[in-house]
Amino acid sequence: MLKNYFKIAFRNLLKNKIYSFINIAGLAIGMAATILIGLWIYDELNYDSYFKEKDTIAQMFQHESSNNVIGTGPAIPRPLEFAMREEFADNFEHIIMSSWNYSRYIGYGDKNINVTGNFMQEGAVDMLEINVLEGDKNSLEHSNVIMLSKEIATTLFGSENALGKMVKINNEHTVKVTAVYEDLPENNSFNGLKYLMPWKFYVATQEWVKNSKDSWGNNSFQMFAQIKDNTTMETVSSKILDIKKRNAPEEAEFNPEIFLFPMKDWYLRGDWENGVQTGGRIENVWLFGIIGTFILLLACINFINLSTARSEKRATEVGIRKSIGSQRGQLIFQFLTESFLIVCLAFAFAVGIVILSLNGFNNLASKTIEFPWASGLFWILAIVFIFITAVLAGSYPALYLSSFNPVSVLKGTFRAGRYSALPRKILVVTQFTISVALIIATLVVMNQIQHSKDRPAGYDKEGLVQIPVMSSEFTGKQDLMREQFIASGGATYMTTTSSPTTSVWSNRGGYTWEGKPEGFQENFAHTTVHYDFVETLGLKLIKGRGFSRKFATDSNAVILNKTAVKYMQIQDPVGKYISAENPDSDMIPLKIIGVVDDMIVQSPYTPVKQAMYVFESYGNISYYNLRLNPNNSVSKNLELIENTFKTNFPNIPFDYQFVDEEYGQKFRSEERVASLARVFTALAIFISCLGLFGLASFVAEQRTKEIGVRKVLGASISQLWILLSKDFITLVVLALVIASPIAYYVMSGWLQKFPYRTSVGWDVFAIACIGALIITLITVSFQAIRAATANPVKSLRTE
Amino acid sequence: MANTLLSLNEATRTVNSGNNKVTLLDNINLQVKEGEFISLMGPSGSGKSTLLNCIGMLDGFTGGGYTFLGEPVHSMKEKNRSKLYKEYIGFVFQAYHLIDELTVWENIETPLLYKNVKSSERKGLVADMLDRFNIVGKKDLFPVQLSGGQQQLVGIARALIGKPKLILADEPTGNLNSKQSTEIMELFSQLNKEGVTIIQATHSERNASYGSRIINLLDGKIVSE
Ligand SMILES: Nc1ncnc2c1ncn2[C@@H]1O[C@H](COP(=O)(O)OP(=O)(O)O)[C@@H](O)[C@H]1O
Ligand SMILES: [Mg+2]
Repeated sequence: MLKNYFKIAFRNLLKNKIYSFINIAGLAIGMAATILIGLWIYDELNYDSYFKEKDTIAQMFQHESSNNVIGTGPAIPRPLEFAMREEFADNFEHIIMSSWNYSRYIGYGDKNINVTGNFMQEGAVDMLEINVLEGDKNSLEHSNVIMLSKEIATTLFGSENALGKMVKINNEHTVKVTAVYEDLPENNSFNGLKYLMPWKFYVATQEWVKNSKDSWGNNSFQMFAQIKDNTTMETVSSKILDIKKRNAPEEAEFNPEIFLFPMKDWYLRGDWENGVQTGGRIENVWLFGIIGTFILLLACINFINLSTARSEKRATEVGIRKSIGSQRGQLIFQFLTESFLIVCLAFAFAVGIVILSLNGFNNLASKTIEFPWASGLFWILAIVFIFITAVLAGSYPALYLSSFNPVSVLKGTFRAGRYSALPRKILVVTQFTISVALIIATLVVMNQIQHSKDRPAGYDKEGLVQIPVMSSEFTGKQDLMREQFIASGGATYMTTTSSPTTSVWSNRGGYTWEGKPEGFQENFAHTTVHYDFVETLGLKLIKGRGFSRKFATDSNAVILNKTAVKYMQIQDPVGKYISAENPDSDMIPLKIIGVVDDMIVQSPYTPVKQAMYVFESYGNISYYNLRLNPNNSVSKNLELIENTFKTNFPNIPFDYQFVDEEYGQKFRSEERVASLARVFTALAIFISCLGLFGLASFVAEQRTKEIGVRKVLGASISQLWILLSKDFITLVVLALVIASPIAYYVMSGWLQKFPYRTSVGWDVFAIACIGALIITLITVSFQAIRAATANPVKSLRTE
Repeated sequence: MANTLLSLNEATRTVNSGNNKVTLLDNINLQVKEGEFISLMGPSGSGKSTLLNCIGMLDGFTGGGYTFLGEPVHSMKEKNRSKLYKEYIGFVFQAYHLIDELTVWENIETPLLYKNVKSSERKGLVADMLDRFNIVGKKDLFPVQLSGGQQQLVGIARALIGKPKLILADEPTGNLNSKQSTEIMELFSQLNKEGVTIIQATHSERNASYGSRIINLLDGKIVSE
């Protein structure tokens, strides 16, 4: 019986090639999109699954409030470690102090490469189950050693044995390679861990780290932990909550609360707002999950519409089968079998499409997803997916077709009833509602990104280059280098900064000033800078002046941004002083010499933070910032700068970044969402149009005779074209009317998460509406015009 | 004395067409014995097809009694009714109504599939049928590749494959030329001799004469026998 059904299904497919193509292509594209989204979601949900202990690993996080706003983050002070070990050691399998993920130069022979990694305490290897391929698993217990990932070991030593090799770190320290570990995959939070060095070494070699042993106020470190199996994150969190407050009463005014942030939340739920976890990437998972479902739904709607539209052709078969003994259930089963077959075929094509497009998709989504050939789970889900799709697409046609009365069908008087097209119309409206809503949503996302890109950055990002100079060989060379860079003609200005132009590495408080409100808990973005800061960055001075060599006192001067002035509630700031709140402090009061316009350093979606730019006098220099010479080409400038650099630092690789590119990184994640959304919206439109095309050809075929008669009676081609197209246009207009308010509502909500945001303007709707109408017209007109221009004599004779 | 195959007792069919009630079959009383060959005659629209469809259980009477092989069809559940006609009734249509996507062989085989006949047995039965109708050479052709007469032969073969007691034929030769008509009618009378009960609707006196009994319908009533 099944064989008989399959035979019929196959022959039907072959007989109606256009119809089959539309059905299978639509379903295949829809399924491919859904599979890609499914793989993407799976990858997102399995971020950090490399770590078998994912459920028991956590990072220490801290809430701190100032001016009644709670900030949350991973930075913790060093003494927390000692208190934690003393008071709560028995709750933990591991407590591990760690540095941030920094890049350092690792040199061997004439190679010197820039590598990111961490300094961590012993136990890290055990906790993260880092797979040590050769050498000592317990390397971190020692001091002058380094563990390298396989990739880095191969880059440095080629096929030579890495163990026992001596390498230079930042051209300063020589350490021994004592272990090589398997590279960590991309989709985990430690993917930047390409070397591992002992925490001990960090403390021993970095003066400021050594000195921070008792500084509860110096939140400059990270701490990871693995809890014991017999306890939970919540229990431990509740125990350690007040550990900092108890041990450091002087910090109590910020109400510091320490808690465990579980690894399973790191990637997906990493957003905090005023002390409350507010989500994160999980929202994109939902977003694309919904889009994927919609696209599949669109493809199923095509199937449903085309099957029911063609029902008159299948009606006779239903009548015959009923008259020779088929029950309705058997017919339902037959039609479901048919949709199952088509869905299976479509799935095979979908797999092909996925394989062909996976590379491009990975680029777009910046992922490294591979097709899961060997995954049993995937194939089980695939079978479930095929069944769901087959039932979704096939149920309605099966119920509808099997319901025909054999007598009326076989009498030949069968005409699908007057309202039989209604469900079809509703489905077309649904399809276009979804497509149009997706168009509007994508446009709003793109607008928001453009809007934020157009936001004045407050400085001149173009022609600005930064060179990281954190190793000690650069110490004290900044004035010499400035002279040489400018003399080389490659740069017109240079200044130094303690953090890159595109982020804030230090936030500070503990100041006072004339007119400071009672109990005000200030917190400034704190950057130390040098002469020509204003000129190099192209900042706009609102009041006062920049740092100048003409004023010896500028070594104790500060420049504020506009927001800081408002924030401090200080009148006529220029000439006033900012001094330490603590009267015992030896900090020399800072004279405010100027106010600059706000410059976007952090997120382009949020208001600019109050910032102070303090004159550099302690050698805290992380970057040289150079304004390229506008009279030369960029490449010429870079050549001059590199030559100058090389003459002075022959052993250090010349590393630099364009500030505008770094700035562009801030839009990366939104742009990624936007480009994925664009692709899937295009697919949704394509699938909907494919269905519309099918319906249009069906209607044109059905009305061939009518068109012939009208033509003989004198109807013009354009009249016939309008006749055949207007029904579809009406449906799409209806879809526009439904989609617009829904999209408006949803996208206004989405925009709320960006403090700096665009509005959902009428232009977005205009573009979406006109676009949808044009596409619809093109799609249906093809069939309409073909039918309208056909020779009427021919079509009438076939009756 | 032959057994009664079916009997209609004041069987009526009315339908609602708009606001009016239309009576399609009006108090039909009819006894059919096994082995009869009945011709239904009457002008177009007199209700021949309606009567055949109701007897064949594709449609239902809306009033009166219908007994088939002693079982009360009018009070039967859909499922049992379907079992009954699957087992005992075969249809032959004026427009043949073969399934276009199936070959001759497959068309004839289909009723057996619905009766859950085993594959090996099916092969034998279909082969016998093809043999008997001399269409072995056509078994892999599709309906569109056959002439009308050949299609109707296949239609009859399909009706016969389930070994029905009753064949209902609605103007079986209506689309055929006279030579083909004669062949089909000869075939019917041959079948009838073998014991199959036949009820045919026809316009043609000549075709009606093959039957053992003629019933005239007019406006849904039996006017004469
Ligand atoms: N479902 C129905 N609703 C209304 N009228 C019907 C229906 N089926 C058949 N008729 C009408 O009943 C009459 C008898 O039809 P039919 O049995 O096909 O006649 P015949 O086969 O004798 O030509 C015709 O007038 C036909 O139009
Ligand atoms: Mg008739």
